[in-house]
Amino acid sequence: MTPSRRGFLAGAGLVALAGCLGNSTSELSGSRSLPTAEEQLPLPTSPENLRDAARSGGPPKDGIPSIDEPAFLDASEAGFLADGDPVFGVVRDGVAKAYPQKILAKHEIVNDSLAGTPVTVTYCPLTGTVQGFERGNTTFGVSGRLINSNLVMYDRHTDTWWPQMLATSIPGPWNGDPEIQSLREFRLVWTSWKQWRDQNPETEVLSTETGHAKNYSRDPYGSYNPPGGYYANETLLFGGLNPSDRFDPKRVVMGLRTPDGAAAFAKNALREAGQLEGAVGGTPILAVFDGRYDTAYGYLNPDERSFDRDGNRLVDAAGTSHEPDALPLSRVHTFDAMWFAWAGYYPETNVYQ
Amino acid sequence: MSTSDIRRRDRLQRALGRTRSATRLVFRRRDSLLVLATVTSLYLLLYLWAIGHLSPGLGGFDLLVVSDPLSKLLQPELGPFSFTPVARVAVGPVTYLFSLNTVLGLGIAGLVGLNAALTYLVWRQPSACGIGRSSTGLLAGIPALLSGTACCGPVILLVLGVQASGVLLTGFQLLLPVAVMMLLGSLLLVGRQVTVQG
Repeated sequence: MTPSRRGFLAGAGLVALAGCLGNSTSELSGSRSLPTAEEQLPLPTSPENLRDAARSGGPPKDGIPSIDEPAFLDASEAGFLADGDPVFGVVRDGVAKAYPQKILAKHEIVNDSLAGTPVTVTYCPLTGTVQGFERGNTTFGVSGRLINSNLVMYDRHTDTWWPQMLATSIPGPWNGDPEIQSLREFRLVWTSWKQWRDQNPETEVLSTETGHAKNYSRDPYGSYNPPGGYYANETLLFGGLNPSDRFDPKRVVMGLRTPDGAAAFAKNALREAGQLEGAVGGTPILAVFDGRYDTAYGYLNPDERSFDRDGNRLVDAAGTSHEPDALPLSRVHTFDAMWFAWAGYYPETNVYQ
Repeated sequence: MSTSDIRRRDRLQRALGRTRSATRLVFRRRDSLLVLATVTSLYLLLYLWAIGHLSPGLGGFDLLVVSDPLSKLLQPELGPFSFTPVARVAVGPVTYLFSLNTVLGLGIAGLVGLNAALTYLVWRQPSACGIGRSSTGLLAGIPALLSGTACCGPVILLVLGVQASGVLLTGFQLLLPVAVMMLLGSLLLVGRQVTVQG
């Protein structure tokens, strides 16, 4: 009995010690230089109410470790990826990069740079959202808290909370009075490894050599290839802010928001229709499907210009043909999200299908 | 101290003494030692699988040790009793992650194995009574198997499709210490039933 008791006490001591050590973070010194958006994005409620809606997801701060020194491989070296595996792709100044979902499911944040610009690539498995942000001289980490089931990031200079989908600072326990501002976003395309590689054969791929001892073949939530587990069922683990039964909770919508409001297009409806019209804050918008990547782009379309589809391209009234991601309109940041998460953050959203 | 308190203390001391003797007996007999080793090994494998530290991997053969592993060994990962893996061993289709959880798991597996070995000894003694109680040792090992967490939330809730409330999450954080306490209690319950000759 005595040895067992000693062993248990020693174990409890280790856990207590670990609890102390676990709160140490890699905070950055000096003043923060973070590029922010010219206009603040809409919030569903006050920043204080959002702070109060935060809940622990289980892990402590940085318990889910961000990748801070990412390494990349050539496409031919990425044997760990199957054709149908999801990747999040971006091209900047002719350099294409793919971030595999199976790696980001374990880290949620990659602090990287694109064409010399410091950026952070973020992914929340629970809401199915991928967002890219400029990060200036800071890095972002995983706070361990969730709002609307969505990742809450923090910046390592000021400890300010930044809910991923809202892309806007809110007060939190580590910084109670931050300036409320929105991050500069950039688009990452959620597509399959095959589709990305076919379009970008010279692409680099995030390596599994992340500096962390993880098993990247195991996604505890489920699977996208084939669909299964949390990603495919209707069960929420942490719930949403504003429940809506308009669609199945995990149905994927392509969402966009401007300072004037939000709109969501059902992705499968876009896939079938090719393009859908809508409005956000009274301004007409146009969403077009891109079969190359199985994704879609949203545009402000104040003059309500129309386009004819010619295969995957769109032809304007003058007969000029355009790729779906390059229409002569003002493109709005658009990204995939599970319906419950979009409706939770943007309950007044317009919906098109 | 009242008479009943003294009786209770005496009973506890007797149970402790008999459990100590029974534990020594486990290590003296080859058959009970085999039960201990087998059950401990199997439970450890089951525990590592349940928390995701032993599972199918990306394939190939590889050993990775993170930089400064000693300082990271005590870092919590996904919850209070979930520690950061500091090494990864890929052997063909299987990948093993080494963390402090392997040490904790070994401790719990040892308790489960000891419970099983004592149960075996009780079973081998026809005169022992209360054989039904002896199964509690194995049941007590179940909470630790359920303590595995995904990036956010306990794995078992994902499997069952149950939404995680604050109370549930707190409960899951206690599973591992609860398992240890139950195993120690069960050890006493079983150990006191073993009669050690001489």
